[in-house]
Amino acid sequence: MWFWLSLKNLFRNPRRTFAILITIAIGTGALFAFDGFINGVLKELKYDTIHSNYGYGQIHPLGYREMVYEKPMDHWMGNGEELEAYLYSVAGVENVFPRVSFSALLKSNHTTIGGSGQGVHAEREAEFFHSLNVEEGEMLRSQPSGILLGKGLANALQVKPGDSVKVTATSNKGYLKNGNFIVTGIFHTGSSDFDGRVFRIQLPEAQKLLKTSKIEHVSLGLRSDADWPAVATSLHTAFPHLEATPFDVLDKIYYQNSVNWLKAQFAVVQVIILSIVLLGIFNSISSSILERKQEIGNLRANGESRVEIMRMILTEGGLIAFVGSLLGLLGAYTILTFFVHNGLMMPPGPGQTKEFVVTFSFEWPMVLVSLALSMLAALIASYFASFKVARLSIASALRAL
Amino acid sequence: MLFNTAYIIICINLFGFSLLSEKILYKSIGLKFSYPLEKEKVAAIQGMDFEIPEKSFVTISGPSGSGKSTLLNLLGLIEPVQEGKLFLLGQEIGRMSEKEKNRVRRYQVGFIFQQFHLFPILTAEENIQYFLTRQTLPKQEVAARTKEALELVGLWEHRKKRPSELSGGQKQRVAIARALAKQPEVIIGDEPTASLDQKNGKGVMEILKEFVERGKTVILTTHDSMVQSFGDMNLHLVDGRIEGGGNVVLA
Repeated sequence: MWFWLSLKNLFRNPRRTFAILITIAIGTGALFAFDGFINGVLKELKYDTIHSNYGYGQIHPLGYREMVYEKPMDHWMGNGEELEAYLYSVAGVENVFPRVSFSALLKSNHTTIGGSGQGVHAEREAEFFHSLNVEEGEMLRSQPSGILLGKGLANALQVKPGDSVKVTATSNKGYLKNGNFIVTGIFHTGSSDFDGRVFRIQLPEAQKLLKTSKIEHVSLGLRSDADWPAVATSLHTAFPHLEATPFDVLDKIYYQNSVNWLKAQFAVVQVIILSIVLLGIFNSISSSILERKQEIGNLRANGESRVEIMRMILTEGGLIAFVGSLLGLLGAYTILTFFVHNGLMMPPGPGQTKEFVVTFSFEWPMVLVSLALSMLAALIASYFASFKVARLSIASALRAL
Repeated sequence: MLFNTAYIIICINLFGFSLLSEKILYKSIGLKFSYPLEKEKVAAIQGMDFEIPEKSFVTISGPSGSGKSTLLNLLGLIEPVQEGKLFLLGQEIGRMSEKEKNRVRRYQVGFIFQQFHLFPILTAEENIQYFLTRQTLPKQEVAARTKEALELVGLWEHRKKRPSELSGGQKQRVAIARALAKQPEVIIGDEPTASLDQKNGKGVMEILKEFVERGKTVILTTHDSMVQSFGDMNLHLVDGRIEGGGNVVLA
């Protein structure tokens, strides 16, 4: 019946109970919404990282990424076809994108500038790497002499689609090799660094320039990122001299640091929201308890222990927190799903040049975490509010006005 | 009275305390209690020796500040024993753990407060049931005791009413029913009739007298001669001492 008493106590002062409920609901709703927002940003960030350049991960010769070689091409993979065939047989692998990357000089009528070239199977990559937003012209697909330029690079070269660009690269043997390409399109990914140095040509054209048939790395398109660990393990077993690296490690500076930064930001906001909720509940429950000192004295005089008094108050706090949290979660979900379902237009993030839309992305664990955090805050507030009155002597409680 | 004290002391020496404790509900030896006031201590009970047998109706009278409520609180295990000894059914209260004291309060002591202290959010019936469920009684027993107690105080028809819907006299009768339903060894009341008119006050006292006739004990503080007239004995306090001084045995 103590539970019944706790429940009934919530209806003792409906206005105050309503105020606590609203405090908790707003707090929980805000936590949930912000979590959904951050999750949306992270998903957007992840999606962009995967579909702009890295894929879900890449395969390199073992140790290749950490080493600086005098002749890197000597360490490239010569068994590209065998590897490709194997990868397509692994569950979860949907796309295999062999690539080479190289440094080159790009020359237009106006200027010469250094760039970072990628030789790709353009037709195959066009669908997957769609985060390369083609601003002018068209995507590089099957055009054999086409070149796709990053926006910054195109600006520096002062070229537009249809213009010619001469690419000079150092071949496998150390000779300079030239190739003439026609600008098919100009892309931007949002990352100014990437857009300012990267260009893409067809893989065979790049291999011709470099005088090699090897590939430097393979980017992978998977069914989902959950497939990555199994794919990496499978590859390591079949090709021990190769290593598979996921996109978040490949793009640690940008992606992983952004994730960490956003999560840290979320943690700070979380603490602030929870502190407000905690203080709000503490204040309300404290006043409620102060009004009931004599009743609590009566309970103690009739055999209730201090722990039982605290349990009763904690139950009240827990009940109201549970109901308030559910209201908050439901309210936030309803508002965001029905009124902000198109997402929010956000200004460019750190290191980015374009605006992006963030949709609130909710997952079940977030419901549980928001609920648990709000209830924890309510229980902590109830604990501190009840602690003093439970320690009060029975006589003092009974004498209280 | 002095002869009785001497007799009891002899009994303690000859037969041991446990033999004697079967008939003694409370026994006090050199009981003192003081309240802290800044750096000073204000003595409320200045050394009391008494015994209260079972099945007695005791009233405690005296002017304001004489220590009536403090004594009642000590008997109800509401205040801790600071100095001296106080026994309840042979068990020294000062040596009881907090858990034991809670058990005694839950099962053996019933309280009636001047301000009733009913739960405003519970009905009359629920106010009684609450402490019975805390005694972990079966549901049927809880229902039966609640009905019996409310019928005894004449409020069965009002069982669904909340305290705010009851008069002062009715509230006090609910408080009495609550104490009676616990079936404690002793009911302790701090001026339970103070906020009632003469008629309601007398009604309350008759209910308590009936409780004593069932073999239980009632101890009340009062200023009212009508209440004192119901008592088997009266303990008059002055300045934290029993009037007349020395050892007193109420038997």
